[in-house]
Amino acid sequence: MSDAVISVRHLRKTYRNLVAVDDVSLDVHAGETFGLLGPNGAGKSTTLGMLVGSTPPDSGEVNIAGATDPSRPEARKQIGIAPQALALYEDLTADENLRFYARLFGLTGARQRERVDWALTFAQLTERRSDLVRTYSGGMKRRLNLAIALIHDPTVILLDEPTVGIDPQSRNMIFSAIEDLKANGRTVIYTTHYMEEAQRLCDRVAIIDHGRILANDTVPQLIASHGGNASVSVTFDRRPETMPINGEWSDRTLTVSTAEPLGVVQQLERVGVEYRDLAIEQANLESVFLNLTGRGLRD
Amino acid sequence: MGTLWAIANKDLRQLWRDKASFFWVLGFPLIMALFFGSIFSGATSGSGSGRMTVLVVDDDRSPFTEALTKELDANSALRVTDTLVIEEARDRVRTGAAVAFVRLPRGLGASYGFDRSDSMAIEIAIDPARRTEAAFLRGMLTQAFFATVQTTFTGPKGSRLIDETRASIADDTTIQTRDREALLGLLGGVEALMGAMTQLGEGTEATDTAAAAGQQQFFEGPPIRSVAVTRELSAPRSSWEFTFPQALLWALIGVTAAFAVGLASERTRGTLMRLRLAPIRRSHILLGKGLAAFVAGLVSTAILILFGILVFGISVADPFKLALALVAAAACFCGLMMLIAVLGRTEQAVGGAGWIILLIMSMTGGAMIPLFVMPSWMQTISHVSAVKWAILAVEGAIWRNFSYAEMAFPVAVLLGIGLVGFAVGSFILTRRDLA
Repeated sequence: MSDAVISVRHLRKTYRNLVAVDDVSLDVHAGETFGLLGPNGAGKSTTLGMLVGSTPPDSGEVNIAGATDPSRPEARKQIGIAPQALALYEDLTADENLRFYARLFGLTGARQRERVDWALTFAQLTERRSDLVRTYSGGMKRRLNLAIALIHDPTVILLDEPTVGIDPQSRNMIFSAIEDLKANGRTVIYTTHYMEEAQRLCDRVAIIDHGRILANDTVPQLIASHGGNASVSVTFDRRPETMPINGEWSDRTLTVSTAEPLGVVQQLERVGVEYRDLAIEQANLESVFLNLTGRGLRD
Repeated sequence: MGTLWAIANKDLRQLWRDKASFFWVLGFPLIMALFFGSIFSGATSGSGSGRMTVLVVDDDRSPFTEALTKELDANSALRVTDTLVIEEARDRVRTGAAVAFVRLPRGLGASYGFDRSDSMAIEIAIDPARRTEAAFLRGMLTQAFFATVQTTFTGPKGSRLIDETRASIADDTTIQTRDREALLGLLGGVEALMGAMTQLGEGTEATDTAAAAGQQQFFEGPPIRSVAVTRELSAPRSSWEFTFPQALLWALIGVTAAFAVGLASERTRGTLMRLRLAPIRRSHILLGKGLAAFVAGLVSTAILILFGILVFGISVADPFKLALALVAAAACFCGLMMLIAVLGRTEQAVGGAGWIILLIMSMTGGAMIPLFVMPSWMQTISHVSAVKWAILAVEGAIWRNFSYAEMAFPVAVLLGIGLVGFAVGSFILTRRDLA
């Protein structure tokens, strides 16, 4: 744990009677992409807020980028955050937005120009750099929102639901960007309620619900530990009179929950019964969440 | 300072691009100035009735000068008041109570204006800045003079006067022969001229050479000399001089509302949070915002006053005092901006509450209707409005002719309101949004 760039111990935050974050502890290592996966209102953004010092915790400790107080300027220069809400000045151009934030992070002169050009290229907005942000599409704004978080070349990047409400092209662009950041050794915390994104991008994922971290591990390990069995669904033209495999029937479809889905298929072949359709559904983070909470991620 | 200016520059850029806010900052104040300026035009022309108030100081007290005064008073464009004391006349012109005074020298009645020596010159004492009024008054005075001379020297009474004068000159042994001949010749010319003018009145032509000579002499008019009496302003010279200070306040109100709503907008859009997470001090954020509002207030008021000077001829009594007043007023409304920005959490809440407060301040402070037309109880209430002190300071520099000591009080009140507003607003904003 000595190489943890982010270390959190027993964080708690309440708003009146609502417990937003409850005894959260986690470590994120250098160069790791760490996912916080949970439904809306699970406490992901509040946790990020406490990590960067914008939300004071009721109790607990935060150590980020070598600082116990994330509000210190030295710590803030190491952190880049792309908030879930698009925090942009719509009456300014992309160029002006980037130059403004670059200036706040102490970048001037040639270094500022270099970083602004890099960010515009990164966000694929070079050709629209002089257009007012209010004329941009949702995806363009989302990309600019991310580019601003990276303008000062931080080592720790916090992305709060960065793909909410955008087109597939922009989503793929953001995925590529995060993979590039990871390849360049940046530490990324990524909050989402899309299990596909967490599964694709994150080295480790913490499942969070009602402010509590329910599980925290690599994706394969989470699935292995909490995903449960795979399910095999077999649909017949006519329901067979005898069926040696146990499962749940729904009309002419048999669903079998099993740790060995291939074994079920082989057993069907041995029995020699004819079927019209067969589908195998492996356990995933959705089923992990379902098994941990008793409800789906989007419920 | 670089960070501070970066924040201020960003805010100013946003204001420039927001057409609605820009209208409230410059367009609306100008409309208000023009609208009320037109309504009140004429109310400050010197008499309030469109007639020019002119005093006459008659040092001669002769029948001729009394007739000349009556002739002047008969002019519908003038309101003539006779006064005995030169100092009083000078004071009234200096304080703006009268546009000018006309001084009729001792001996004018005896010479009837024929004596063109310096001591016999009629004086028009007027502010050199009032060139139009001076020219107008000179014309009216010349006209009245000719009318008086004509009345004096025509008809049986006039003939008798000429005869008596001729006899008097002939009998006066103190006059040298050469002068006597000249005076008698001049008197002959007057007689011929009056005769010719009478004939003109009866429709016959004057062909007599003596009459022509007399006319030539008289056409030079009476000797008139201008004397400068600089007006120490205590009243606006035109309606624009009290509507433009009001307009400046509307500009400051527009700036205040725009920046207060802008700050609320930063909160709701999440950009304020982003500012918080930058490696800058909270004081930089607050001061940057304040600096932007201050600069916007100062620039918009400077543009308006410049427009007033160039287009409507507003005359600033003391530019340094005006600069002081504008700085104090801009600082005051910058503080109020910070206070109003924390009245709500959304743009709508801040905008609604802000405009209500600012409109009440403007109504009670004289930005809508000038304080001097308000009842006394309303003028008493106006003391609590920052608008009143800002208008007073600006007017003090433009036409009230305030001394620096007189400027100190409204300027101190404005700076005090600004400081308190900024401190309270910053305190609440810091605790609520920047902690």
